[in-house]
Amino acid sequence: MSIAWRLALRDLRRGGRGLLLLALCLFLGTAALAGIGSLSASLIAALDAQGRQMLGGDVELVVSQRRATVEEKAAFAARGRVSETVAMRAMADAGRGPVLVDLRGVDDAWPLVGAFRLAPGAIADRPRGDQIAIAPALADRLGVRVGDELRLGMARLKVIGLIAAEPDRLGAGFTLGPPVLVDMAGLDATQLVQPGSLYESHYRIALARPDAAAPVSDALTAAFRPAGFAVKSSDRAAGSLRRGIAQLGQFLLLVGLAALAIAGVGVGSGVAAYLAGKTRIIATLKVLGARAGTIAAIFLTQLALVAAAGIAAGLALGAMVPAIVVAVAGDALPVPPRLALYPLPLATAAALGLLVALLFALPALARARHVPAATLLRDALAPTSLPSWRVVAVMLALVGALVALAVLTASDRVLALVFVGAVVALILLLWAIGLLVRRGVARLPRPRTPLLRLALANLHRPGAETDRLVLALGLGFSLFVALAVIDTSLSAELAGAAPAKAPRFFAIDLQPGDAGRFRAAVEGAAPGATIEAVPSLRGSISAVKGVRVADMKTLPDAAWVLRGDRTLTWSAGVPPRNEVVAGKWWPADYRGAPLVSIEDRAAAALGLRIGDAITVTVLGVDVPTRIAALRKIDWNGLGLNFAIVFSPGYIEEAPHSLLASVYSAPARDGAVARNVAAALPSVTMIRVGDLIAQIGVVLGQIALAIRAAAAITVAAGIAVLVGAVAASSRMRRYDAVLLKLLGGSARQVLAAQALEYALLSLVVVLVALLVGASAGWYVVVRVFELAWAPDWAIVALTLAASVLVTLGIGVLGSLPALRARPAEALREL
Amino acid sequence: MTISSSPADSALIAARNVTLSLGKPPARVDILRGIDLDVATGDSVALLGPSGSGKSSLMAVLAGLERPSGGSVRVTGRDFATLDEDALAVARRGKIGIVLQAFHLLPTMTALENVAVPLELAGERDAFARAAVELAAVGLADRTGHYPAQLSGGEQQRVAIARALVAAPALLFADEPTGNLDTATGAAIMDLLFARHAASGATLFVITHDPALAARCARVIELADGRIVADRRRP
Repeated sequence: MSIAWRLALRDLRRGGRGLLLLALCLFLGTAALAGIGSLSASLIAALDAQGRQMLGGDVELVVSQRRATVEEKAAFAARGRVSETVAMRAMADAGRGPVLVDLRGVDDAWPLVGAFRLAPGAIADRPRGDQIAIAPALADRLGVRVGDELRLGMARLKVIGLIAAEPDRLGAGFTLGPPVLVDMAGLDATQLVQPGSLYESHYRIALARPDAAAPVSDALTAAFRPAGFAVKSSDRAAGSLRRGIAQLGQFLLLVGLAALAIAGVGVGSGVAAYLAGKTRIIATLKVLGARAGTIAAIFLTQLALVAAAGIAAGLALGAMVPAIVVAVAGDALPVPPRLALYPLPLATAAALGLLVALLFALPALARARHVPAATLLRDALAPTSLPSWRVVAVMLALVGALVALAVLTASDRVLALVFVGAVVALILLLWAIGLLVRRGVARLPRPRTPLLRLALANLHRPGAETDRLVLALGLGFSLFVALAVIDTSLSAELAGAAPAKAPRFFAIDLQPGDAGRFRAAVEGAAPGATIEAVPSLRGSISAVKGVRVADMKTLPDAAWVLRGDRTLTWSAGVPPRNEVVAGKWWPADYRGAPLVSIEDRAAAALGLRIGDAITVTVLGVDVPTRIAALRKIDWNGLGLNFAIVFSPGYIEEAPHSLLASVYSAPARDGAVARNVAAALPSVTMIRVGDLIAQIGVVLGQIALAIRAAAAITVAAGIAVLVGAVAASSRMRRYDAVLLKLLGGSARQVLAAQALEYALLSLVVVLVALLVGASAGWYVVVRVFELAWAPDWAIVALTLAASVLVTLGIGVLGSLPALRARPAEALREL
Repeated sequence: MTISSSPADSALIAARNVTLSLGKPPARVDILRGIDLDVATGDSVALLGPSGSGKSSLMAVLAGLERPSGGSVRVTGRDFATLDEDALAVARRGKIGIVLQAFHLLPTMTALENVAVPLELAGERDAFARAAVELAAVGLADRTGHYPAQLSGGEQQRVAIARALVAAPALLFADEPTGNLDTATGAAIMDLLFARHAASGATLFVITHDPALAARCARVIELADGRIVADRRRP
């Protein structure tokens, strides 16, 4: 065992308590990263493992507003076993009023994967003919039990059981209402599937070789995409859910990185304080013949051991996070995580933790090497000049490795690079401000009052920790401000009522011939109601500027308009709430070649301009068009808006239905829903309030996840504050004892120290407000795309609390010295 | 005043025109102002002088704890003035033992470990065995497992003496070794120090402001304002 290792262990045995802060900061930072990474990986793994079940097969083909032809079905059957399901929204009514449901008609082959189960008490194993299975939540809302009847469209169906397990439900994604299940005969009986109705036909194929899903999917895409089919394989099941998890995971990882960066500052403070306390030991070892390299090796060994322990503990906790989340908030998760050990996020967290520990510990370690042996004879301070070029080079290499690791392991590398760059810039900015404060204060005229003089002198005296304090306080305060801004903006979004001008209902599957009866039903229940009805049908963009979407290797996140079917409409004039921002709208009587108008942001995401060609596939027919105008849409009012609007004169002949929005008095909601259900059972009425509530649930889950991650980051921030104050406390305790010796009262001593922290905090508060608010704005507006609505009172309170906590920690640190007798305290110091 | 008591080429310590200044103008302080000094092997030297005369600083320069601002300092054949911190640390190993007023034991190590450290740093394999022997020589055979906080002041200074002598150095410096001890304990410590000096043959260099203690040494050098003002040998 080398001498450095032996001496390191001996010293650590009795004198290692000072490294607790190092261990704690690394534990928190590593636990945050490891936990977030493990949870994301476990959720994605669950999606991967259940991909086949979620999809309902190995490959799925989906087409809107039509069923597959006999030839198409034969082609599917040539690949394997096929199951057909039809999905749409509908209204179920058992006499208490209609309720929006998610209706699925399934064939006898369904489900191809997994098992369908009804809850105990069912009177059949699955619905057949005039039978229906419903979700337990729907039974409660409708007030029905097994054996009761309900109305769905034109059919009266008997409830044969409550759904306990629907194997492919998760693959359906976001749904508006509770699920109900009928067979194809039952679906026909409802008469809800009409030309122009909004429904999707799903064809799942179970292959003889499931591992061939990807190439079969590619082949089917090439063959059937032109006919309007969207094709996906089981490895890409629940795509939107997977993307959502990946995006949220990415954001939370950035929160975790922030925790680790702050932990790094804590490491720096902690190590500096620890090594400052070892000055005499270092000097003694040098007197006894130890070289600087041996000193560095001794303390590097100690730091490495303690860092490893902190990181290992953090990894252990992080690895358990998926299990903990399941136990504490399992219901809030979209899918049960696959509980296992995920080496990659753990290894990444460990590597980042180690790099951060080394980077922030290095300056103090480099200074400790140069503590002169003569310190034992006089208080010789180690050189405080800038680190040597060797140390700087190593630090730069560590920063490079950190940035590379953080960016390369991120799913959104640009965002990660921006974030890491911002953190580095902030650290440099705060360090520079610390130096400026130090030099600036030194140039101020000396105040008359001794306490103020002492407070100012402490900010620039040799050995002052001002720059490190500014860095730690600045990072901590900025973090708290950013979190307060994000949290209050999210809360405002959650609490926000529907916009005053939002409609009460959206009506779908309204046949054009029923428009008059619909209007009469609505106005009969709510006189004076305003109804906007527009034609709609489903279609998808199949080519952009001559390039087929199916041939595009990757679609950027912002290109949502290319994913799947979109609701299309046509209009003679510019629709309400829309403003033409480029190009020119067609004349009202236009009947030429098809033109389209695209939403401006969707066009920008695809680099589309006026005159560009796009092909829209409608009911299997490719419709080549040109872009005539770009529109800015006011989405805030929740009115009917369309990303793609056709010119009149071409697609009106295609089977279509009407979409309507109803603006009426809230008190008439029940009457409107009942009137429409009675007059037009096939029309689905979606309450906007319910829709907003559903979105609120999702936002609430996101907010919960952010708060959980932020809690660890806040804990790291507080640990850093404690460490920063503790790092400079030794000098302050010495001052406190001397002042007491000279006749100063405890109150005067504490006032001097509080004044010093208050002066520092004032400088830091201004920076933190600016930086934290900017970071919060970016996250709320750019990342989450929500309204910027922070509660400034809460933000101010957060800052004030941070300052008070800092003052409290600083003042509390001096109390033991003030209580002790001066001789006793001086002996200890 | 320049006084030399032994030929330079046979001296264990040979200092020529040594100066030491600390701080930067206008706060610069000249602590040593042209010291010339030779010390022979086996000698016992007391460095006497009032506070601020430069005694501790001269000892620091001669012991390699401080690099002089000017002049040369040859100790055990090496010019300390040309060595950096690391080289000075290595030069002290096995050749120079130092006992300080505040003991400066390593608080996180036992008495035995404290005494063993200089040998371990020098790479000696039997460090602990030799440390145990040295502790026994200073009467602390039953305190080997005690930490400094568990020892009295006198016991701590004994451990410091054992640590300074364990490597059988040619030169032993003691800076006010009894300054933190009561009279009786201090006397016992000085008896121990002189006894170990006699037994080991190491050159002893003691800094003190106590004339009675200085009188026990074969040679007394008086310092004032950073200069040697007297250098006399006991008849």
